Amino acid sequence: MIGIPPTASSSDLDLSGKSFLIIDDFYEIRNVFSDILRKCGVRGRNIHVVANGNEAISSLKKKQYDVVLCDLNLGAGKNGQQVLEEAKLHSLVGPNCIWIMTTADKTAEAVTGAAQYQPDSYLIKPINETILHMRLEKIWAKKNAFAEIHEAMGKKDYQKAIKLCDKRLDFDIVNNAELQRTKCDLLLRCGELDRASEQLDEILAERDYSWAMTGKARILMSNGDFSAAKVLLEDTLKENPSFLEAHDLLVETFQSLGDLAGAYNALERAVALSPNSVVRQKNLGEIALKLGNLEKADKAFRKSVSLGENSVLKNADAYIGLAKTCTSNSNHEEALIVLGELNKNFNDKDIHLKAIAVEGTIQHQCGNTERAKLIAREFSELIKKDEIGLDSERSLEVARLLMATGDQESAISILKQEIKNNPESNTFLIDATEILCDAGMGDEGINLIETAGKEAMELMNGGVLLASKEKYEEAIDAMRNARDALPTNIRVLLNLAYVLVIYIQKKGPKQEYIVEAQETLSIVNTLSPGEPRYVKIKNILKGLTEKKTDGDTK
Amino acid sequence: MKVAKSDIPPIPDIEIFLVSSVHDMKNSVAILISRLEKTLISADKDNFPEYDGFVQMNHEAKRINDKLMQLLTLYKMGQKVYPFDPQYVSIDEFFQTIASQNMDLLASQGIKLEIQTDPKLSGYFDEVLIYGVIANALNNASRHTLSHIYLSAKKNNGVLELCVEDNGKGFPEAILQESVDAIRNVDFQSGNTGLGLYFSALVARLHRKHGCSGEIKLENGGHLGGGCFTLSLP
Repeated sequence: MIGIPPTASSSDLDLSGKSFLIIDDFYEIRNVFSDILRKCGVRGRNIHVVANGNEAISSLKKKQYDVVLCDLNLGAGKNGQQVLEEAKLHSLVGPNCIWIMTTADKTAEAVTGAAQYQPDSYLIKPINETILHMRLEKIWAKKNAFAEIHEAMGKKDYQKAIKLCDKRLDFDIVNNAELQRTKCDLLLRCGELDRASEQLDEILAERDYSWAMTGKARILMSNGDFSAAKVLLEDTLKENPSFLEAHDLLVETFQSLGDLAGAYNALERAVALSPNSVVRQKNLGEIALKLGNLEKADKAFRKSVSLGENSVLKNADAYIGLAKTCTSNSNHEEALIVLGELNKNFNDKDIHLKAIAVEGTIQHQCGNTERAKLIAREFSELIKKDEIGLDSERSLEVARLLMATGDQESAISILKQEIKNNPESNTFLIDATEILCDAGMGDEGINLIETAGKEAMELMNGGVLLASKEKYEEAIDAMRNARDALPTNIRVLLNLAYVLVIYIQKKGPKQEYIVEAQETLSIVNTLSPGEPRYVKIKNILKGLTEKKTDGDTK
Repeated sequence: MKVAKSDIPPIPDIEIFLVSSVHDMKNSVAILISRLEKTLISADKDNFPEYDGFVQMNHEAKRINDKLMQLLTLYKMGQKVYPFDPQYVSIDEFFQTIASQNMDLLASQGIKLEIQTDPKLSGYFDEVLIYGVIANALNNASRHTLSHIYLSAKKNNGVLELCVEDNGKGFPEAILQESVDAIRNVDFQSGNTGLGLYFSALVARLHRKHGCSGEIKLENGGHLGGGCFTLSLP
């Protein structure tokens, strides 16, 4: 990396030793770019040109380039964004590589990729040496300015990254806006909602930045105020209809409010903005399927699957959704073919498990009851032996299969367990209720869900109640039992960490409790990054352990 | 013997053809411009009799590029998919970009492009859109000026003002009137589509701050006594 102060004049940038890769499907454009680079002082032997995505990937595997100029629209095969995603995912380009996406015109797709797969910059053709030179300088200066911050973020040390942002905000006028935004993102990621809110209010007093309004909406969502979040997101989109992040959050908000039709409309607008997103097409298909719109579901799932063919970000759930849609259209044969494709394309135990559950349900629906029952029996045995890890999605599929094949008891026990693990997820509760209603257990089902929820609440809060009565040891025991029963319930884990910390606070440090609290907190952060209480408890614990080491040294 | 009817089947979606063709044309024009510029820059003016002709071609190619960009942008805005993306932009750098694409060309036409700004000045806007507006204004000015174009920027009560002035005869009265409401004055019947002006007015209006929108203004007079185009951004 070369160090250039932000005010460097263009003559300071020496490109002679830098290597460039040009990716463009037009022969003429490749020539034009090579000419421009030579005029910028790049040596001819340091300029490599390729015509498509596959050639680009093999060049990137052979050599670390300083700069990549990649056309977004590469004709058939991978597009520029997919090349970038593959290069980043497989670490073919390092953090110092500059990736510039070139386009014929400004498309929404150009500014809608996921953050970790964003290029450093976009350039609209035609370009000339002055434009390229100025842009490279600017990007190198920015990379330098953010190097330490990004390093801390890479190590997930967000508190350090926030401090580094603050330090830089004191003097760096050029990057002020970007620093403010990064800092707010970091505060949100750590769950420091109050600090984030304060910052965002200050920023919004100056101007109605779309990203800042969206940040405020995120805070409202974290606090469970989805109605207010919805209003704010709709306001943001009135000002700036193409702000994709607001569309995505609006979809989430509608889902949390149980408004599927609203979620579908919001997602349709997001997809219009980014038609090449594997995940959004998959999500669109899933909501369409829930709404019973098989035609739209089919179209969206197929699009997601076909986009995934050229992409490292291909999505297994798109295949599952397509298989279900085929079955709903009584096209069982294709449904099973799609599941076969899924198994070929993904080498992952959990994905295969889910696919088998879905296959069982499809076999049942097309009359192969024996085969369906066989699969169901295997699942219930795995569950009895506790040899199976089920997340929300997989629990639903397995419960659906067991219910369909007549094993109500096991189906209900799976749903109850997952409700207890996840009592505050509205989307899961809706899906679970649907399965119970489909099985003709309407009232009984709702009763079951409510009871499971209540039991979970008692388990979650029992220990805290004991701690407030100063029964610290019992509190820890109660929370440990709760953790064993509900190992992925975030609130149980947080409360266990909390009662451990309270014990240390009241009774003095105890090494094994410190370790247990730290381990529990780190599980929370893996399961659900950015929980507000995670930060609070972690900070108290840090304060206590620092005090302890001070004591030791004295 | 029956003769098959030669009915033209309904065209599925002409809009898609139009948009993808415009996109395609932009690619071609980009190559055209780059090639012309390469020729112009490496040419020895005195021993190249076609020089002025090439300059003219380059100028026309750029106009086509700018118009295609305006059309695509308007289409996307209509579909609510234009990625409006305002950022803080250094005006000095912004003007350098504009100069790099226009200075040589103007010089070859005997037109002096003078640029005036404070190096510390910055603005908050969508760079691609505002570039489109200023390029359009420069193009107009270069057709009507006698010899001199003045491009300047300043902040006035927190509002950024970008001005393109020339020493020609100034705007005719009809255009001055029209510009008062450029967005409503598009008249396809009379052939006065005023794409450039419409685009500029729309882009100005997209840039808002606390309820205030940007605007454009056409006047005569200014520093050089000719036409004076001002874009104000809150």
